[in-house]
Amino acid sequence: MSFLKMRLITGNEALAFGALRAGVKVVTGYPGTPSSGALDSLLRMEPDGSRYVECSTNEKVAFEIAAGAAWAGQRALCTMKMSGLNVAYDSLISIAYSGVNGGLVVYVADDPGVSAGMAEQDSRGFAMMSDLPMLEPASVAETYRLVQMAFDLSEQVGTPVFVRLVASIANSHAPVDVDEPVGATLVVAPEREVKLEKDITRYTKAGAAICKRQHRDLIARLEKAGQIIGEMGLNRLQLRRRSGDLAERGLGVVASGAAAAYLEEGFEIAAQFGCQRDAISVLRVVATNPFPAEEVRALLRHCDTVLVLEELEPYLERNIHLEARKIGFEGRIIGKLDGFFSRIGEYGVEHVVRGIGEALGLEETGFFPKNPVSSIAEQLAAARPITVCAGCPHRGTYMAINQAIKGLGLKKDEVMVTGDIGCTILGMNPPFHTVWTEVAMGASLGIAQGYVHAGVETPVIATIGDSTFFHAGVNGLINAIQHQTPLTLIIMDNGWTSMTGMQVNPGTDVGFQRPGDRRVDIASLIPALGVEHFFIIDPFELDESVATIQKALTLPGVKVVLSRQECAIQAQRRGLRAGNVQVIPENCTLCKQCITITGCLAISIGEDTILIDPNLCYGCGLCAQVCKFEAIVKESAI
Amino acid sequence: MNHATRFTYDIYLVGVGGQGVLTIGDIIAETALRSMIPVSFYPTKGMAQRGGFVKAQVRLGRQTVGPNIPEKGADLVIAMEVSEALKAVRFVKPGADFLLFGHVWAPTAVMLGKAPYPTLDQVLEQVQEANGGGRETLPNKMHYLAPESLPLYEGTPVAANVFVLGVAIGHTGLGEVLAPSEVAHIVQTRWTRGAERNLFAFQAGQRLGIRDWGLGTGGDRDQGLESVT
Repeated sequence: MSFLKMRLITGNEALAFGALRAGVKVVTGYPGTPSSGALDSLLRMEPDGSRYVECSTNEKVAFEIAAGAAWAGQRALCTMKMSGLNVAYDSLISIAYSGVNGGLVVYVADDPGVSAGMAEQDSRGFAMMSDLPMLEPASVAETYRLVQMAFDLSEQVGTPVFVRLVASIANSHAPVDVDEPVGATLVVAPEREVKLEKDITRYTKAGAAICKRQHRDLIARLEKAGQIIGEMGLNRLQLRRRSGDLAERGLGVVASGAAAAYLEEGFEIAAQFGCQRDAISVLRVVATNPFPAEEVRALLRHCDTVLVLEELEPYLERNIHLEARKIGFEGRIIGKLDGFFSRIGEYGVEHVVRGIGEALGLEETGFFPKNPVSSIAEQLAAARPITVCAGCPHRGTYMAINQAIKGLGLKKDEVMVTGDIGCTILGMNPPFHTVWTEVAMGASLGIAQGYVHAGVETPVIATIGDSTFFHAGVNGLINAIQHQTPLTLIIMDNGWTSMTGMQVNPGTDVGFQRPGDRRVDIASLIPALGVEHFFIIDPFELDESVATIQKALTLPGVKVVLSRQECAIQAQRRGLRAGNVQVIPENCTLCKQCITITGCLAISIGEDTILIDPNLCYGCGLCAQVCKFEAIVKESAI
Repeated sequence: MNHATRFTYDIYLVGVGGQGVLTIGDIIAETALRSMIPVSFYPTKGMAQRGGFVKAQVRLGRQTVGPNIPEKGADLVIAMEVSEALKAVRFVKPGADFLLFGHVWAPTAVMLGKAPYPTLDQVLEQVQEANGGGRETLPNKMHYLAPESLPLYEGTPVAANVFVLGVAIGHTGLGEVLAPSEVAHIVQTRWTRGAERNLFAFQAGQRLGIRDWGLGTGGDRDQGLESVT
């Protein structure tokens, strides 16, 4: 192990390298912050043909592919963010009951503290509900090791195994000694025989007897996993000497996931206030499911106070209370159930220090305040609502929707525009205020239909991006078509899965698809579904877009408007521009309509005229189309 | 990793997406790796591709470390934007370096006069306040760089992030933690083009005759805000 071999990699990359090291044969997933980096790096490394890697249509499909490969005896990895696990869960629980042959690892990334939007959910609950083992690395380096162990465990027990990271581990970079050269030459997976096993008692859910046996087997597998985890010594218990006073049995700390990464630093700080590090026992929980009951009981017998450090939901803590009752523990358990810590947000050093201070009654308990108020400094900071990039085609679509609504003599507050996941949701923010709702992938369609059936008399609009439409939107559209629910669907097709880092999706231009892959064109798909009123607009052509949307809103039945223009970020990476936009200062009256309507980051206010930053401007020309004084002109790109 | 590193040094970086804030963190982390200093580098950007709040946390010297720097824990804050600097105030350690590049990236609502934007004095005052009432009350070492201080190379301004990194190396405690020559090497080799330009920017920052001042003796610090568009 040489320091020179250390590479600075993210937790996501460590997961990818660990899976490669474990000889993974099939990798699937759907991008989603904070998990995307794992799939992205595996996609980049694919070329040698010893593995199959794909960005799937959605997490359920991705999981099923990985599970099929594992049934066929191969090692498989499926990656997703926490919301994706909700999507995959239907199939996942069924596979959990059947078990697997080849190692199957499900990587899920949670986002305590919500760095990237969506519900602040704790996916550990899913591992408990499905009785699947879950490993939680506390560092980038540990991720690399644990994912390899997860494959071994999966195969030894015959069960899918979860590896869960949180955003701060998934996206932080740290030095890792990656044993094999990574990049060009990778570990070649050992050839495994493809298994074709026909056994309806295992691979179907045919009948109560089969299902109940599968349930028994599932429970037995988790138990076996617990034994193996115990033998591996994954959950590390360090019982320290009891502190000086005979009456005192001392403090025990239970920590899991990212919270465990802050222990040593917290102990150092606490030492300044008289905490004796060597008097504190620690149970570092790496495998959060199955619950490490034996280690917890040993800790409870050794200590009179137990401090539980886990982010989000008190899953470990509840089970610790259970064990405490079973063995008659009468000490104190500090965590969330007693109201000391919050179920919301990330953990840090602060939590370790405050918890120790509380447990030991140390003087300096005010080192970190219990309820850190949002500082005055932060309240003074200018609000910076996120908006679409300069040149983003979605800008034109929001502007067109707003104008079309106005054109019908309606107010914005009278027309429901449901939103969806991805960049297209940015229309909720100023200056557009177009989109009203954000629920889950594809939900814009279902929610819109609900509003229609509830009796809303104004037109109902649903908006969705291309990748989100393929992921889970198309089902909602089919439903609307079958039941002829009147609504206008606006698909904002920019050709890429943009917000998660520009992944290729089924609708991406064939030139960017993998060799041999095909494009599924939304423009062919919609008419084939039987949509009678189907329009294609260019969101950079404002007047035509407004007219088309306005017309669609007045037609009966299901209308689909495909607003199509490539993501400006991606186009600019290839040196493309939509045109050249110039300001004619003498015409500018500083009415600021261009800024008020477009909110474009490239436009600012100068002394006598607005200014356009040529480095930011993509030349979409939307500002020129809203200027009433011919102070902005657009020339088409040559 | 068995070398005897006994110091720790935490750096909190804030700014707006597009300013190269994360790149500063990346260069520091890469330099640390090459210098065999344990490092954790945690970049956080929101959902916006450009123009949103970004931050990065670099933690040097600990083998086992969580990615987030605690409140009042940062030995160095680098803020690339005036208003965003406020979001780093509660993380600066009393007595530590606070380096502010006075660029103003006004959100649309501010440009339209519909939302307030803090003055430079307010920001400096908040940095000063960060010392009060806590466990220690050491004055922070405030370093303010007016945007005009950005030097020209062959007639155009250099990259602000590389320049600010140079200032940090030349004028804050970071220069004692990382070897300036190592940082310069990474700056030169990181990009395939513009090696000379970036080295120039870095060295200009390093050698800048910066005016450090105690808070409340602001001198000409306000000049930076006036001419920003």
